[in-house]
Amino acid sequence: MKRRIGTAVVVGAGIAGIRAALDLAEYGYGVTLVDRAPHLGGILSQLDYQFPTDHCGMCRMLPLVQRDDASQHCLRRGLFHENIDIRLATEVTGIEGEPGKLRVTLKQQPLWVDPERCVGCGRCTPACPVEVSDAFNAGLTRRKAIYLPVPHSIPNAYVLDAAACTRCGACVQACPTDAIRMPEAERRKFHILVVDDELAVRDSLKEWLEAEGFSADMAGSGPEALDLLLAAPYHLMLLDIKMPGMDGVEVLDRAKQLSPELAVIMMTAYATVETAVGAMKIGAMDYLVKPFDVDSLIPKVVQVFQRIQAAEARQVETGAVLLCGGTAFYDPSSGKNPFGYGVERNVLTQIEFERLLSGTGPTAGRLTRLSDGRPVRRVAWIQCVGSRDVQTDADFCSNICCMVSVKEALLAKTRVEGDFEATIFYMDMRTFGKTFQRYRDVAEHQQGVRFIRSRPHSLVGDPASGGLALRWVDAAGACQAESFDMVVLAVGQRPAPVSAQLATQLGLPLNPWGFIEPEPFSMSRTRHPGIVIGGAFSGMKDIGEAVIQASAAAANISRVIHSAGGSLASEEPRLGGALPESLSREPPRILAVLCRCSRTADSRPPAEFFSRALRGDPAVAAVETIENLCTRDGREQLLTLVGKTNANRLLVGACLSYTYHRHLRELGPEAGLTASLVEAVDIAPWSDISGNDAAAGALVQLRSGVAKLKWVDPYPAPVIQVAPRALVVGGGIAGMTAALAIADHGYGVDLVEIGERLGGNLTWLRRTLEGHDVRALLEDTLTRVEKHPRILVHARSRVVQAHGEVGSFTTVIEGIENQVYHLKHGVAVLATGGTEAPAKEYAWGASPAVMTQSELERKLADGHLDAKGMEAVVMIQCVGSRQEPRNYCSRVCCAASLKQAFVLRELNPQLSVYVLYRDLMATGFMEAGFTRARQAGMIFIPYRLDRSPLVQPVDGGLTVTVEEPILQRMLRIDAQLVVLATGIVPVLPRELAEAYGAHLDADGFFQEADSKWRPVDSLKEGVFACGLALSPRSIPESIATAEAAAQRALRILGRERLATGKVVACVRHSLCSLCEQCIDACPYGARMLDADSERLLVNPAMCQGCGACAAVCPNNAAYLQGYPARQMLAMVDAAVGGAC
Amino acid sequence: MAKTARIEVMDQNLAEALRNFLKAVLNREEISAVLAPRRLPMKNRVMPALITDPQQLDQADPLSPAFAVNSARLLSRLTRKPSGGQVAAVLRPCEIRAFVELVKLKQGRTDDVVIIGLDCLGAYSNRDYFRWATEPPEAATQKFSRAVLTGSGAAMDGVDLSPACKACESPTAEGADIAIGLFGVDTAKEIWVQARTAKGESLLGKLGFAEAPEPASRPKALEKLIAERIAYRDEMFQRTRAATETLEKLSTYLADCINCYNCRVACPVCYCRECVFVTDVFDHEPSQYLRWAEHRGAVKLPTDTLFYHLTRLAHMSTACVGCGQCSNACPNDLSLMELFRSVAHRTQAAFGYLAGRRIDEKPPLFEFRENEFPEVVGISRPSAG
Repeated sequence: MKRRIGTAVVVGAGIAGIRAALDLAEYGYGVTLVDRAPHLGGILSQLDYQFPTDHCGMCRMLPLVQRDDASQHCLRRGLFHENIDIRLATEVTGIEGEPGKLRVTLKQQPLWVDPERCVGCGRCTPACPVEVSDAFNAGLTRRKAIYLPVPHSIPNAYVLDAAACTRCGACVQACPTDAIRMPEAERRKFHILVVDDELAVRDSLKEWLEAEGFSADMAGSGPEALDLLLAAPYHLMLLDIKMPGMDGVEVLDRAKQLSPELAVIMMTAYATVETAVGAMKIGAMDYLVKPFDVDSLIPKVVQVFQRIQAAEARQVETGAVLLCGGTAFYDPSSGKNPFGYGVERNVLTQIEFERLLSGTGPTAGRLTRLSDGRPVRRVAWIQCVGSRDVQTDADFCSNICCMVSVKEALLAKTRVEGDFEATIFYMDMRTFGKTFQRYRDVAEHQQGVRFIRSRPHSLVGDPASGGLALRWVDAAGACQAESFDMVVLAVGQRPAPVSAQLATQLGLPLNPWGFIEPEPFSMSRTRHPGIVIGGAFSGMKDIGEAVIQASAAAANISRVIHSAGGSLASEEPRLGGALPESLSREPPRILAVLCRCSRTADSRPPAEFFSRALRGDPAVAAVETIENLCTRDGREQLLTLVGKTNANRLLVGACLSYTYHRHLRELGPEAGLTASLVEAVDIAPWSDISGNDAAAGALVQLRSGVAKLKWVDPYPAPVIQVAPRALVVGGGIAGMTAALAIADHGYGVDLVEIGERLGGNLTWLRRTLEGHDVRALLEDTLTRVEKHPRILVHARSRVVQAHGEVGSFTTVIEGIENQVYHLKHGVAVLATGGTEAPAKEYAWGASPAVMTQSELERKLADGHLDAKGMEAVVMIQCVGSRQEPRNYCSRVCCAASLKQAFVLRELNPQLSVYVLYRDLMATGFMEAGFTRARQAGMIFIPYRLDRSPLVQPVDGGLTVTVEEPILQRMLRIDAQLVVLATGIVPVLPRELAEAYGAHLDADGFFQEADSKWRPVDSLKEGVFACGLALSPRSIPESIATAEAAAQRALRILGRERLATGKVVACVRHSLCSLCEQCIDACPYGARMLDADSERLLVNPAMCQGCGACAAVCPNNAAYLQGYPARQMLAMVDAAVGGAC
Repeated sequence: MAKTARIEVMDQNLAEALRNFLKAVLNREEISAVLAPRRLPMKNRVMPALITDPQQLDQADPLSPAFAVNSARLLSRLTRKPSGGQVAAVLRPCEIRAFVELVKLKQGRTDDVVIIGLDCLGAYSNRDYFRWATEPPEAATQKFSRAVLTGSGAAMDGVDLSPACKACESPTAEGADIAIGLFGVDTAKEIWVQARTAKGESLLGKLGFAEAPEPASRPKALEKLIAERIAYRDEMFQRTRAATETLEKLSTYLADCINCYNCRVACPVCYCRECVFVTDVFDHEPSQYLRWAEHRGAVKLPTDTLFYHLTRLAHMSTACVGCGQCSNACPNDLSLMELFRSVAHRTQAAFGYLAGRRIDEKPPLFEFRENEFPEVVGISRPSAG
């Protein structure tokens, strides 16, 4: 593919990191994807099900065009892309330089198990005598010190937990491939200085450290320590704070001057924790609170040891860096711990519960009480544990926990046969995504999940029944108590530990809770132009939002790299895989290579057995055996053998065949074989599950491989041309942002706006709740659009017709004075926007004092509102919204009400403000605004949908009646202004969407290909949507969708030609009966009947090779190239044997 | 809608009354031709013919128990594209159902056709019919139709209705534009006609017959007939399932098959231009036969017999209308109709589908439903709105 010279570093290989890395790689940049963990996937590796579909679906992130550049198997198991260099167990230790030319320092943790040699046989694990709690199962199970970090990765190399390892050497003995080395000698060379004025502390520390194999020296005072530091080098200093004479902070200060590289861990009493935190600002790495035991000390020491042991730090030169550093969570056992977490075994966090539901979890997915294994019948979820909680310094909402709890409740119901009761205790159910409210409604009304609006105050275990008694005060003030089998805590987010460090290093501002603050109106850009943030790192988000913001971040990164010249190509594009023309016509000559090593030799029949059996097929030219194929040596032997035998197909029989795919890919150019001409099968004796004896099992695998290679279709993938231009429909902030992002990469953009001028909803907005200036944003964006040489604005124009497909669309627009233009473009972005829903309720129209939010906004703007003359204003949320037929949250109205309330209060500080709401959607850091509003004495009254407030015009003013749930009385408010939050409706004409092959959802919004994994794409490739046409959103969120849509578009525009996937559907016209079943079956709209030629045509770029057409076609007239029927039948035959 | 009328039968000559009706249809300016069963001029046989000359309709024989081919396939050829004229097609109910399936499969169009469907008196198998049809054709048909309509049954002269007809629970022309009712009607005196579509109503209206309500005796007569058929059918299902419930039994059931593929040639809904079993997919390599033989010590030839029938069941059982032409076509007397109907009954029930029932009902494989068969796919989840 087209490889550009620009590169990016993506830190964090969770969902956001993977999405951004793929986006950048698909555009042609080289990407270094780094993760601290030894595996990909971040938090997702622990989650098996995601709302609202309760499936996974992560694989939908894989490339859809130029598919053969990447792996096409389960993304949770692993990822491969030609342009992505994945570095696991690696940390970023420094970033410096200018945007476009940054130097990133990476350090890989020492690999005590060599992943190149580890074959994943697992013999080390039973040999290991050490057991510790397993972080993958959130501590619910135990694992050995040598272990698999996640059960599903491929390849899945074992990892040694150096902190837990006792260095007994048992695993080294058990390992058949000598993949493990012990950190014994290195530990002795690791020098630690313990500084404490108490002899008892010094003695016990020395004993503990030496028992772990480290070298430790003691100092009783600061000056003594400094003398020692002068005399000899140390790696680590454990430093007491409170010492007579020179205190720890001073010692630290001086020691850092002597030896800046020295790692220091402060030791402090509880009372001086603040001092220790202060010490970290001047260079201490960490601190320990006294008294501590050996188990809390050693891991910290080992961490420093590991870091120093880390392989030589390497520097990567790169254009820009995306930080997706993940998140930490609130520890519910800290503080007052009212829910007995860590004390009661049946009190879990959401992640722990998620592991409990997983097939790879502690109970293999069965829902039983952890205390006694008895079945679980009643589960309670408690929301906002460590979120929306000023006491734990968390005046923010963690965004996803409400939906996670609803999902877990529904999932749990499917796991329990018989009675099951799920109860969710909440403050506001924040169902603010497009489909979330309906998901909740299904849970509540169809699935019987109980929602209780209350915050339980205590939990007490009942040793007799093993149950948990939960107490709460209901809305009326009455005390309630019920017993549950299990209680799940929706624990809040905390900033990732590296946030503060990176912020200091890069001079980035942090918000009051320690999260990196993005630039105004951006979710991803920071003050440093070369540093972009994404994922949970910048605030918790669900998968869909993480994916959108990751693509948006990729767009922002790409812009930096592009402007530094990184878009230039470094290699000529290699399209469709060059293949000697003759090869497709040559009869197959298969070289079968069997790998042999010490582990397989004893349990496998001699090579002659396989040779005899396989040579029966004339297509098999040679059967050979190679020792240790997995080593570099083995691979070289293999190459020689391919040359010597003149084979044109290669079959490799080895263990863990997946590990070979990447190596086999590299074989291609060298041996003249493309990936499809090479097949690897797993013939390891332990992986046969057929119940055959090992030899028969291996033979079945090999014969299937022969069958596959024999009938493989070696033709290269088809290629289509791309028109390097984009069409953006809609000139609001989303449309303009998308147009700019695309045009900034050098591609022409036609921006079609139906109205007189650009700007959309921004033309009537002034400020955001956070106080950012919307008009300045609009002015700035308008100027950039109007001055951009590559953007052509078509105002007062509308799309009248469109046809075509990815790479080549033609759109007909009608402009001023019915002038018609034909526009050619490779991609289309629909940004037609949305508008405030019309008000019908609450005496709107009957009284001028009842107005919608936008009406108020306009009145405030032109100064026509006499706020001073008012005594009270009532704001009613969710007017006609979050109920059928408009059963979705519009996301912006709660923020708008808070903002307008503050504006009105500024105009009239005496004004009483009443906000009548159902669930206040003050998501994320907006929560602080909600808190501020309550502190300012604004009154928030929740109402139920079946008891909506009543608004009556009474001579000049208005009377609002609403039931106050705490007083349990009707409240009458005499107001001079009632503001209705009616929400957002999309403006996306069905004909327009369908002209581009896109569809609308039930509410008229753009239907995404997948709400989680492809949130701005249409199922039809090359068509994207952003802004309010996609879903209700705030300005920064709309901008993020626009940037994401632009990035998705750039993947396509970035190539002159698109190689489609090798596996695409085709038609044998001579067999085709034109029944058109395949057209109906195709989910991607890639098939059409050409009436003129009376033929069925397939668009190879839109086809995703799913095979639905081949499945419905009865006579194979529709078939998948790359999966010929004869090949499939031959493979099945080889597997089961015998004809019928 | 459902305009209804009666046609008088003169001299108790039912066949003549039907022919006159067809002539009246053909005389309409908008009707270019009539597709109907007609006696061959050279031999005492009945085959479908496309008739434009009203005189030729004297040889039309729609009540004959001959059922050599299912005319749906023929009608699909006449209607795939505009023909420039309109055809009135006289079809049995199972032919109409098969045509409906073919239209859904884009193998035919309803635009240029008016379907005239008869209450089906049933048919003999080809072999039985050839044995039985020795008398002069007009007399033979009259004997047969009288026997059936007077309730004495179709069994005569050592022949009986084919099993497909005995098991047919849909003997009335539900999908026709104009349905002709015979059961429960005093056919010595009259025929009852019903227009079932706007197109049928338009044509019937122009023919000028007197309006008439449904004869009172008809519903009861149909109810009784259908009950008998269902009883026979269910017993047949049971018998067939018992004989085919394992792979071994199924192999035994199909043991006489010689891979001649006549059954799929005769099948009205098997619409492929070329069956996959005669394409290169099944051109096995010579070395393959040897490997098969080695696997069990011997391989039965020809191969792929069971595979063929299972494939046809997979492809066509949701479209099977139970006409029985597969059995009719088998040179070795395999009970194919029994097998297909038994399987089809269940596959169609699984999708809540009935082949040929309605033209606007999508065939199961044309539709993607996300939450289907959770017990099969192993995923169940509450739907979110």
